[in-house]
This record gives sequence, C-alpha cells and structure tokens, in this order.
Amino acid sequence: MIELISVLIIGAILFGIGLYGALGQTNLVMIMMGVELMLGAAMLNLVAFWRYLHPENFSLQVFVLVGMTVMALEAAVGFAIATQRFRTKGSVEMEEASDMKE
Amino acid sequence: MMMWILILCLFCVSIYAISVVEHWSIYRHWDFMYPFSAFASSFVQEDVKPRMHDRTFLQTAPILFIVAAVLSVSVLPFAKEFILVKLGTAALFINAAFAYIMVSMVLAGWAPNGLYSMVGGWRFLGQLIAYSMPIVMAITSTVMRAESMDMTEIVKSQYELWNIIYQPLGFILFYLASLALAFLPPFDIPNSLGELSGGVFSEYTGKKLLIFRIGRLILIFSLALATANLFLGGWFGPFLPGFVWIFLKTGAVAISYFFFGRLMPRLRHDHSLEWSWKYGTPLALINILWVGILLLL
Amino acid sequence: MSTFRLIILILLGLGAIWFAWRVFMTSSMVRSAFSLLAAMAILGAMFLVMRAEFLAVLQIMMMATEMSIMAIFMMMYMMDPGGMGDMDMSHQKKASISMAVVAGMAVILIVGFSQWDSPIEKVPATAQQNYDLGMELMKRSMMIFETAGTSILVAMVAAAATALPFKNRKK
Repeated sequence: MIELISVLIIGAILFGIGLYGALGQTNLVMIMMGVELMLGAAMLNLVAFWRYLHPENFSLQVFVLVGMTVMALEAAVGFAIATQRFRTKGSVEMEEASDMKE
Repeated sequence: MMMWILILCLFCVSIYAISVVEHWSIYRHWDFMYPFSAFASSFVQEDVKPRMHDRTFLQTAPILFIVAAVLSVSVLPFAKEFILVKLGTAALFINAAFAYIMVSMVLAGWAPNGLYSMVGGWRFLGQLIAYSMPIVMAITSTVMRAESMDMTEIVKSQYELWNIIYQPLGFILFYLASLALAFLPPFDIPNSLGELSGGVFSEYTGKKLLIFRIGRLILIFSLALATANLFLGGWFGPFLPGFVWIFLKTGAVAISYFFFGRLMPRLRHDHSLEWSWKYGTPLALINILWVGILLLL
Repeated sequence: MSTFRLIILILLGLGAIWFAWRVFMTSSMVRSAFSLLAAMAILGAMFLVMRAEFLAVLQIMMMATEMSIMAIFMMMYMMDPGGMGDMDMSHQKKASISMAVVAGMAVILIVGFSQWDSPIEKVPATAQQNYDLGMELMKRSMMIFETAGTSILVAMVAAAATALPFKNRKK
C-alpha cells in the first residue's frame, strides 16, 4: 500500500516538473524534453499499477509499450518539425512561432 | 569456487592476449611486455585537463564506458552453470549495455571542449546508431530460435546445430556490426590515430585513458564472448570441458577481429553509414524472416 | 524485505526527481539531455525493482539512443549549446510554475484520497512474464500492437517528408 502510494507520488512530482518544462521553456527541443518527462511519469504509474494491483493482467504492460512508442513518435515528428523550422527561419525558439497561426 | 578463480585467470589471460594481438596488428611485431609497460606508463603520465572542460562528464565518461563493458560480460555464460547474473531478459540486456558504450563515447567527445574529440564523438554516435540495428536484429533471430531471452536457453538451443550454420547471414551481420561497435580497424574512423589525431581519445591522458583502453579490451572480449555464445554453440564441443571451449572460441573470434581488420581498407564515414542503413538493416530483416520460415517448417 | 524495497524505490525516485529538475535548471544543453537520460534510466531501474524486467531493460536501452539523438539535435539548433553565454530560455515563468504546482498537487491529492485495493505480493517469474506478454501481444492486444507499429512507420515517412528542404523542387 505505502509502496504503491510513494511510487505514485514520485510519478506525480515528475509529471509536475515535466509540465513546468513543457510550459515554461521557449525552445522546441526543451519542450519535447518536458513532454517526454510527463510520458515517463505516466509509464511509471502504469508499471506501479501492474505490479501492485493486477500482476496477472498484461494489458497494462502493453499500455507501457504503447507509451514508449508514443515517445519515439513524438521525438521523430518533433525533430522533423524542428529541422524544417530551422531551415526556413533559422531558429527553433517557439516565441517566434506565432506566425504559424496564419 | 575453484572454477570461478580459474575462469577469472583465463579472463585475465584473454585480455592480455587481446592487448598483445592489438599491438601486433598496429606495429607488426610481437611485444609481450607491451601491456605491462603501457599500464605502468599511464600512472606517471601527466594528467592534462583541457581549458573550460565539462568537469562532471570528463570524470564520468571513462567510468561509464568500463561499467557498460563489464555489465555486458556479466550476463553472458562462461560454462553451463557459470554465469555471473542470471537474467531472464539477458539477450536484450546486452543491447542495453552496448547502448551505454555509445552514451559514454558521446560524453567523452563532448567533455574536453576540443574540436577533434567532439567531431569524433558525434561520428561515433552516427556509426553506433546505424550499427546497433543489425546487432539487435541478429540477437532477435537467435532469440526466436531458442524461444527464450535467457542466454542459457539460447546456448542450449544450439546443441544439435550451431547458429552459424542455421543463420549464417545473422552471424556475418553481427560480426561486422561488432567490429563497428568496438571501433576496430575497418570502422575505426571516429577515433583512429591517423584520423582526427585520435578522435574521441585525443584529449585524454593518464589514468582516464588507461580506463578507456582497459574498457575497450573488455568490450572486445565481451563482443567475442557474445559471438561465441550466440552463434558458435557456447560451451558445446567434444573432449574438452565447457569453459575451455568457450575461451577457445572467444579467443579465436577476438583474434580474428584484428586479422580481418588488417585486410580491409578504412571505410569512409558516409559509406559505412550508408551500407548499414541500406543493406545491413534489410538483410537483418531478411534473416529474421529466414529463421521464422525455418522454425515453421 | 518489503521495507528494503520501499527504501530503494524512494531513493531511486528522489534521484529521478533530482535529475529531472536538473534538466531545466542547467544552461549546458548536452548536460540537460543527459540529465534526462539519467532520470529515464533511473525510471528503468525502478521498473526493475518492481519486477517488470522486460520493460525495465527496454526502457534503459531505448532511452540511451533517444537521448543521445536529442543531445545532437540540441547541439545543432541551440544558439548557445555550451551554456557559456548565460541565456535565459524560459518564458511565462510564474504561470508555468503555478500551473505545474497545481497539477502536481492535484495528482498527489487524488492519489492520497483514493481507495486502493491491498497490493498483491506475488508476481510471475520473468520467463513466465515474457511468455505472457508475448501471448497478450499476439492474441488479445494484437490490433493495438499493429497500430503502434503502423503509426511508427507513418511517423517515419512523415518525419522524412517534413524534414526535406522545400527549395529543391525546381529542376
């Protein structure tokens, strides 16, 4: 019980730090780091649920695998956008990216 | 207990032999005292610290390198019951340990704030990302045959037929990719002496360089041991006891690395990357298909 | 045994939180990428303590490659990758800190006030786990797994198409 709760609290703190990074950083690559941290915290929670609540149910582990896939996808697409942005504008600072609205 | 001491002695002898053969492959003459003199001279060499270096990474990179090499040895079996850490996912764990070789090399290239070492570090990153694909897929196909990720099971599955005959394509890919992983001659463009003046190691001296060199010898040993266990039937062999066979096979593979490297010209960086992505990875996928068809027959 | 495991888990968790904090607090970009790698590898170690061995090793392996790639992209695209110029790279500081604190506290409150079932002590052995996970992937969750694979393929194609330069269109 106490193990489960402490792992979940660690996950919550990591999620908070990741959220701060995703909101407060100006650079696209740093924002992606924040998102990865949030996904990592979610995966930690899923593994904790699997271990302490349903060790016989492997759909939770499949969910973690899907989470890792999402991380890889996010990295690939994010880097592609960063590359294109750097080619056209010369920087990946997201404060200058409001021209993407049009 | 006696067995473990024996295995440790054989391990040290193999490391010594690899070091002597490496010296021969560069300078073309046998020098049996060379490892000791090189070892001793590292302690009196001046410890040069570059200007504006990254202090943490300069210290952690050599240690991470040697730890990753030792970890990859620790999950590989030396004989039937002699395995340091018995892990259910050992075949995947070897890949993880090799991935940290790459991390430590990138750190080592970044830390000293030098141009040559940084270029070498990024080159190594590109090379290793390209060549980790054939390694992962070759190991996957051996895992498919054994139906288990346990190293002991993988070796046991080769009792009747070694994997080198069962899946020769996988063996060739694993062999070449392990040359690239240990930056041995045809693929040593990230840090060979004639190129970039030493590449990643150009700014390292003294004890840190010593740790890198010992770590590299252990890495070569662990790659040879992995080849022996995954493709050459592990401890199986007639007449002699198992651990003797495994050291014979490991030594043969490790020495063949240097002879092979002598025959090949050094590859251009973009060519080696291109060959890995365009030919190595599809061939590894074909190998997986081949093993799958053989298993279903 | 249980107390020992709890202490290890909490120590690893504190390490992960420390490294995660360092990611956004250092000005050297390679340092921040490798701090994230350290945090993720510690998460993998926590998976290992919780006996999810396959996921742990997979996490440790994948993150090494991913964060090294991240480090090289940081190097390429930052104005000040070495952190020598002391640039400030954050904006809307107060709003994001308060948002993060509110979200984190909300999650902690939910965790604290929920009714959890009593935890189960027994876990299947690793070989059995690998077998069961494979069966789950190839039987019941096959569609999910296939979807993940297809979406990786689509993302690879899309990423390559996005990253190609626009200007080479003319003959």
